[in-house]
Amino acid sequence: MNWRSLLPLLHKEMVLEWRQRYALSGIVLYVVSMVFVVYVASVKPTPPMWNTLFWLIVLFASINAVVKSFVRESGARQLYYYQLADPAALVLAKVLYNALLLLVLSGLASVAFALVADSPVQRWPLFLGTLALGSASFSIAFTFISAIAAKADHGATLVAILSFPVVLPMLLTLLRLSAASFAPEGMPLDTWADVRNLLAVDAILIALVFVLFPYIWRD
Amino acid sequence: MWWKITSVVLLVYTIIAGFLVPLKSGIERVEPQAAQTGEQTTIRFFGYNTFFARPSDEPLRVWLYYNDQYALYAKTVRPLNDTILEATFSLPVNLPDGKPFVLLNALVDHPTAGASLLPAALTLRQADTLSAPLDPAWTQTPVEQLHVQKGFSFPYQNILYETIRNTYFHVPMWFVLLFLFAASVWYSVKYLRRPEPDLDRYAAAYAEVGILFGLLGLVSGMVWANYTWGRPWSNDIKQLMTAVALLVYMAYFILRGSFSDPEKSARLAAVYNIFAFASLIPLLYILPRMFDSLHPGATGNPAFGTQDLDNTMRAVFYPAIIGWTLLGFWIADLRTRYQRLHDRAMGVD
Repeated sequence: MNWRSLLPLLHKEMVLEWRQRYALSGIVLYVVSMVFVVYVASVKPTPPMWNTLFWLIVLFASINAVVKSFVRESGARQLYYYQLADPAALVLAKVLYNALLLLVLSGLASVAFALVADSPVQRWPLFLGTLALGSASFSIAFTFISAIAAKADHGATLVAILSFPVVLPMLLTLLRLSAASFAPEGMPLDTWADVRNLLAVDAILIALVFVLFPYIWRD
Repeated sequence: MWWKITSVVLLVYTIIAGFLVPLKSGIERVEPQAAQTGEQTTIRFFGYNTFFARPSDEPLRVWLYYNDQYALYAKTVRPLNDTILEATFSLPVNLPDGKPFVLLNALVDHPTAGASLLPAALTLRQADTLSAPLDPAWTQTPVEQLHVQKGFSFPYQNILYETIRNTYFHVPMWFVLLFLFAASVWYSVKYLRRPEPDLDRYAAAYAEVGILFGLLGLVSGMVWANYTWGRPWSNDIKQLMTAVALLVYMAYFILRGSFSDPEKSARLAAVYNIFAFASLIPLLYILPRMFDSLHPGATGNPAFGTQDLDNTMRAVFYPAIIGWTLLGFWIADLRTRYQRLHDRAMGVD
């Protein structure tokens, strides 16, 4: 794989996002309005409810942010990119870019959500680590599945159907980790097993992305 | 051919043995469930699958059993009928280790039906504090020379009763589901290496039959749960994981249907199949170890414990797994052949 094309490709994704700012602001607005809906609907969420609502917001914002990865540019232009750069580098650049985007989005969501509903988080390093792990996991799964779905005629709805069952076990683990970050400081916790499981699954999936992507992009 | 015959033979064996082999004798409950030290008391033992009244040359022996060291032996034993037994105890004046109360296990030893035990059947309370040396009644007649039932029988377990037979029908479904989904992924990998429509038909058929077995496992589990856990769905981690696995493969079929070009459909569905299996299966194995579950086996070990499956059950359980697996592969094989003929008739192949 040609690693040198990775940085220009990452740069391309960012420039593209910046030029089409309506998409980015749309997602940000989506997060803010979801948080506001929760604020209007529920008086004071308990910590487990806070956890669930927060991850629901992040899940739906993530899928909306990632779904456009492969449909934003026309098929002909994508084919042009595949000639210019290694397709593996291209998909890796998209995964990395989406992971960064999701990290920013989930950070934004946690700040916005903490403003309207008191945040029960006690251990911020663990919580931020969970957000980073969640962004990476969601980014890999959603990016790859949106690449598959982009080949179908009605891709956008397909992404949700295809990816929710795939990310559900990851989501359960993330919910456990973020619930652990609500425990007061000084209480002994065993979070390593969950972190290790997520990292292992992420490693398997990123390896599969490299192996399987050549079968997707060629038509 | 041979494996289809094996499948039928094993499943017929599973159904016959699974339904006809009797349960071991067991004790359902005792009455009263509490007593005080120093009393003369008569306790009724309610048996399940017992034949207390059947005459035999050796006596029926009854204990209230605390641990290996301490046990109380019944003075008189009088069977009322085959399932009810009255035993008289002269309870000791104090309890081992000066405890305020102890939980005693009921133990009935029948010369032919063997020994049956009900854990924590009776609470024995200390009447008034007494620091005398331990009553010799605790050690006079230790539990020894218990009988073992001869012949083939399944263990008696409270709560489960006869539903323990569902082990041979519910549990193998999960094994078959995993085998079939693994076979489906195997054919998807083969399809990507060598794109032949037949390999894709196999992948789809295995996934389809896997869903069928998943649904059967879910339904048989829900019927079982309704009787043992009190309700069909308790958001148990294994129930959730099965539902997720089914959702993934239903999504797989939706993806297959959303392309008009069969080659493209087969290729992308194969890619999704591999990706989804790889993301699902590790967590399907790991997550049940991380969450509390109502299923047998403690947290940290979602499999059967050594106490959950005895040797007679193994003699039916393992053939059942093999039989159901072969049946699953047989159905998938038929499904593939049907699809092949269908495609040929439609002129797609």
